[in-house]
Amino acid sequence: MTKCPACLIGFGREDFTALAHHLVDRADESDSDHVRWLNQNLTRKRSSAEELVPSLEAVYDLQGGSLTSWVKRNFIAKFYGKDPHPFVVALQHPTRATLLGYVVEHQHFLRQWVRSCANIMARTDQPEVVFYELDNLNTEFGGFGPERVSHYELLLRMGESLGVDRSTVLATPPLPATVKAIEGWNDIALREHWTAAMAAMHGLELIANRDLVEEGATVRYFDPAILTGTEISNAAKNFLREGYEADVEHSEEALELVTRFAGELDTVEEVQSTFLRSIDLFDDYLMARLERGSDFAD
Amino acid sequence: MQTNYEGCAICDSTWGNLWSEVEGQRLFFCCDICFVQFRTLVDRIKSESGWPHIDRLEIAGDRRGRTCRAISSGEEAHFAFAFNSEGGLRRFERSSPSRPTP
Repeated sequence: MTKCPACLIGFGREDFTALAHHLVDRADESDSDHVRWLNQNLTRKRSSAEELVPSLEAVYDLQGGSLTSWVKRNFIAKFYGKDPHPFVVALQHPTRATLLGYVVEHQHFLRQWVRSCANIMARTDQPEVVFYELDNLNTEFGGFGPERVSHYELLLRMGESLGVDRSTVLATPPLPATVKAIEGWNDIALREHWTAAMAAMHGLELIANRDLVEEGATVRYFDPAILTGTEISNAAKNFLREGYEADVEHSEEALELVTRFAGELDTVEEVQSTFLRSIDLFDDYLMARLERGSDFAD
Repeated sequence: MQTNYEGCAICDSTWGNLWSEVEGQRLFFCCDICFVQFRTLVDRIKSESGWPHIDRLEIAGDRRGRTCRAISSGEEAHFAFAFNSEGGLRRFERSSPSRPTP
């Protein structure tokens, strides 16, 4: 089934003509999500549905490669191209404000992460996927005891090291862009196929996958020199190092599972559309981290 | 007020079908977010400059960050800015006229 990458409404398999008509119709209504998707992915020039079909086919074309390669290619294009995402630029050598913006918004992201991964586990019948999600959830949220605390705990400790206690962080409501993103990911977890939900969530872990530079990314998530220098606190180093070391494996392993099961279960197009929707949500969410950071600017 | 784009007054897209009057001029916008962005930008420039009106607004850049040249009664000012996803200003500052506008 083909789905609209802006609203995830479904169409027939490879029915890019119906999808093109839907996009044009919604754009004619000035719907911001559909206009945005057209502007950013196909063209800013109003076109007919018939003119859009070849462009849509190109977007979904695996180009003879795997679904994993397609996901990575699209992720790099959006966040790690010649004009990397502004949050990634800011994180190369982060200020206190950038890191605190990260802390305050990301605690909401991680709480949604639990709900999303729990839904994947609830809906899959594949033990491999359940084992993967259990390990991921412990790394990200549950922890493995005091010797190996979770990414969530490391995040809160980073905030404390920068002068903001966890009670303040936990009591701060998310910015509207974070709310919208979380609601979008929750909808995906509840309504989309579990293979699509896996791609939507674990594909985002590519953000900290340092190996993407070997596949065309122009920069890494941050300059690795900050892990050995003195420009950020030790707690910030511990938080960033954890993701830096864990997310290569997290993203690669998940995408291999998605590629395998999406092929077996014939959900490739659903996975693609859902992933495209998820990275738009993630784009706005990363901007929200920057916006929140401005609350802490000197 | 004149603008430099033939399409949406903020992003030059020709998708959408939203028309609204801003500063006495009927302008085209591709979506409501761009309309809110434009109104927010005009209000902020007027507040920053003290101008009662803007004669011409030329915008360049993309959603990651934009610059503009604003003209009012022969005076000219340049700004760099970026919006949040709701159309509010995430960043706004005076800038030098380093980037030519179309």
